[in-house]
Amino acid sequence: MAKTELIIIGLVLISIIIASGTIYYAADLSSKMSSLMQDVSSLTDALEGRLASMETSLIVGTTDSVELTLDPAQAYDYFGWCILQQIGATLVSVKPGSETGTDFVPELAESWNYSSDLKIWDFTLRQGIEFPDGTTFNATHVKDSFDRAIALIPRIPEGAPAGLEYGAIINRTTVLGTYKVRFYLNHPFSPFLGILACRASTIVDPKYAPIAQVNYTAGDPRASTPVAFLGPYILSKWDRVAGRDVDIRLDINPNYWNIASGYPRIKHILFKFYSDAASLRLAIGAGDVDMAFRHVSPTDVLDLQKSPNVKVWWGTGAFIQYLCFQEKRAPFNDSRVRVAVAAALNRSSVCETVFLGLSSPLYSIIPPGMLGHTEAFTKLGDSNYTLTRTLLAELGYSESNKLKFELWYESSGHYPMSADQALLYKQALEASGVIQVTLKSADWASYKKNRDNEIMDAYIYGWYPDYVDPDDYAFLYWAAWLHTNYSNSTQVNLYNQARATTNTTLREKLYAQIDEIAVKQCSVVPLYVSSAWAVTKPTVYGIYLDITQDMRYWLISK
Amino acid sequence: MILMGLRSYIATRILLTIPTLLLLLSAVFIIMRVLPGDPVSLHFEKKADPELMDAMRHTLGLDKPLWQQYIDYIGGLIDVGYLLKNGYPNLGKSMQTFEEVGGQIFSAFPATLELAIYSMIIACILGILLGVVASKSYNSILDHLIRGFGTITYAIPVFFLGIIFQLIFGVYLGWLPTGLRISPNVEPPATITGLYTIDSLLEGNLFKFAESLKALLLPSLTLGIILSGMFVRLTRTNMLETFRSDFVTAARARGLKERTVTLGYVLRNAFLPILTMMGLQFAMLLGGAILTETTFSWPGLGRYIVNRISFRDYTAIQGAVVVFGLFVTIVSLVVDILYAYLDPRIRL
Repeated sequence: MAKTELIIIGLVLISIIIASGTIYYAADLSSKMSSLMQDVSSLTDALEGRLASMETSLIVGTTDSVELTLDPAQAYDYFGWCILQQIGATLVSVKPGSETGTDFVPELAESWNYSSDLKIWDFTLRQGIEFPDGTTFNATHVKDSFDRAIALIPRIPEGAPAGLEYGAIINRTTVLGTYKVRFYLNHPFSPFLGILACRASTIVDPKYAPIAQVNYTAGDPRASTPVAFLGPYILSKWDRVAGRDVDIRLDINPNYWNIASGYPRIKHILFKFYSDAASLRLAIGAGDVDMAFRHVSPTDVLDLQKSPNVKVWWGTGAFIQYLCFQEKRAPFNDSRVRVAVAAALNRSSVCETVFLGLSSPLYSIIPPGMLGHTEAFTKLGDSNYTLTRTLLAELGYSESNKLKFELWYESSGHYPMSADQALLYKQALEASGVIQVTLKSADWASYKKNRDNEIMDAYIYGWYPDYVDPDDYAFLYWAAWLHTNYSNSTQVNLYNQARATTNTTLREKLYAQIDEIAVKQCSVVPLYVSSAWAVTKPTVYGIYLDITQDMRYWLISK
Repeated sequence: MILMGLRSYIATRILLTIPTLLLLLSAVFIIMRVLPGDPVSLHFEKKADPELMDAMRHTLGLDKPLWQQYIDYIGGLIDVGYLLKNGYPNLGKSMQTFEEVGGQIFSAFPATLELAIYSMIIACILGILLGVVASKSYNSILDHLIRGFGTITYAIPVFFLGIIFQLIFGVYLGWLPTGLRISPNVEPPATITGLYTIDSLLEGNLFKFAESLKALLLPSLTLGIILSGMFVRLTRTNMLETFRSDFVTAARARGLKERTVTLGYVLRNAFLPILTMMGLQFAMLLGGAILTETTFSWPGLGRYIVNRISFRDYTAIQGAVVVFGLFVTIVSLVVDILYAYLDPRIRL
């Protein structure tokens, strides 16, 4: 073979090899490209899916957690009740935005009436409402729910925390017809609608909430809460790690019936749980969550208010704190000493310095806006050292013989900024020149034990209402569980009279009389009432922060 | 012969673990009951009905004498039937949530473990690497800088560094989530191991893997950097000491490359004390994770303990301490075995 031919054959062979290689690599490249395109496509789909879900979901950051259960017969914590409100329904509810908390609107009940002695209450129920499993709601569900709440509490072996005392108020519940139910009360009780509107009165389907057992928490075979309720949302996911919530997802209830109160505007509510206020503040600041509700600290919320990337919503608070005195022994077994100490307090200084103006001084145990609120304690004034010195002088106290006592506060974060508050109270009291205060603290567990053992001279305590009515505040003056050893039959009589009338003018008068006595006795001294706030992205709307403290997620849009 | 020595060494170490744990458990059992406040009164806010409270005390076994409660608890721990049935020991029921403590702890443990593993990896890589570099550039500016880094990271509080990272990478740059185990808008992977990075891979979901890795980055970087300071100093000191050894001089005299001498001879010999420190630090890391977990809202065992202490949840705290103790003991045991394996003198 000629040399030229050999060269040609060689070139052809090389060409074939190169061509084969090229084809092979091209095919491989094409397959890789195709695979890459598929990956890109699936990633795009995933991102689109994520974007779509982001548009229809609201991510809520919170430091709260359901304490124990979502069973209305046992749940007794803010967040448990909050979730119950989204997934459950009550006979009546408070109108969103209500200033007094007494604007009741029909929910599962269409209408109601009561006897003149306020001991018999009849409710006509809505028709055509179904539980998620298709069971039609009727009067037996109402009866069973209340019978269960009353019967279950003493039977719960671990002890029921619910303190609503339904058994003491409701004598029995009777079904008058398929859609008519009657409550017989043990005594006249005008705030009954308030009780019915609270989460403990959530109606359950007895099929999933048997009378003899509590549905505990997620993961428990007895927990069947998702299908037991009638609310705007269904609890579709509830993950807990080590006894605390890590993930809660609410999906819209496709059969939600209460169009009048507002059909849910957002399909999914996703709750994300942060360990503390600082972490929550960072999460809303970074845009990780759409909304931060409970608890962004006062400092952080004021800081966030300056940011254009978030919107701060303000509302009325219902949490109050008050000062208790141990009255079974000296020095606080004398009302003059209690009044003298009350007069020396400086509420404004605490509200401005500790709470940065986000709390208000409280001069009645009933907070402002609520029926029966007065400014009775202004009579004693703030830092009214003339009165303090005069009263204490009558008892032999002076600058050389000061009134000495221990002021206790809770130190484990159960109440906000307790140490700072206590320090300012001490300063104000000692500025009188005739009082010497020793500050003492204990974590919540020890604090409660100390309260029960009645070893604290004076102690700061707090109250969050179960139902929005002065009835759930006024009794604090003589509440036995506070262990102040104070009792006053006149105040109790006035309180019971207020329970027995729906005449608001008369009720206002009666609560004012209770306050008048409280100022003279100072068994418990009101200190401040909190404000409420939520922080959202600017695109979130429909937040009502009214006196009920309810967060109605189904009214929120974005 | 060597193998026999190693076996008896391991057996002795395992046997020693039992009294150690028992001692730890007894101490916690007593301390918890000496503290004022009890779980029953904490359970009742307004109504303190003595009958209900007594019923609850009875249910929780708190009405029994202390020695009886102790024996009951130990009896539960060694209940093999329960262990085989549930996959975890009988640590009793929580006195506040009434759930099985074992279940609660083992639901939180993977989060802590995942954080600990990744933090340890970061700490070791960063610490040993910088330690080697510092020893190689002894007394230079680089050495001073690395030593400074080691001191600062050792001294800086974990929550402070965590918040700084959250502000920079979460709030200002928006690159990474500020907390939680996965981005808030991403569904967590189905639980198989409880480690999100592993579970998302097992699920075949790279997107979730990337998201869980993103969430893990800041807390593990924070904890890793804090721990790396110790490794920097330890590696540097041991390397410098080993560099002065005769066998290193001999290796160099034989004409071996400096890189081979550094990594093959010096680092290898300097590694034994570092290995011990790894074990100790891994145990410390679990403790340190309490602060990291709080800073990054990481739902692990550290947060669980803090939360339960405020409720005087005796069983929950005892259970968590037992698990922590057991874990620390196992890690120490593994390190000791490795040490004994690497250094036969230990077994003599």
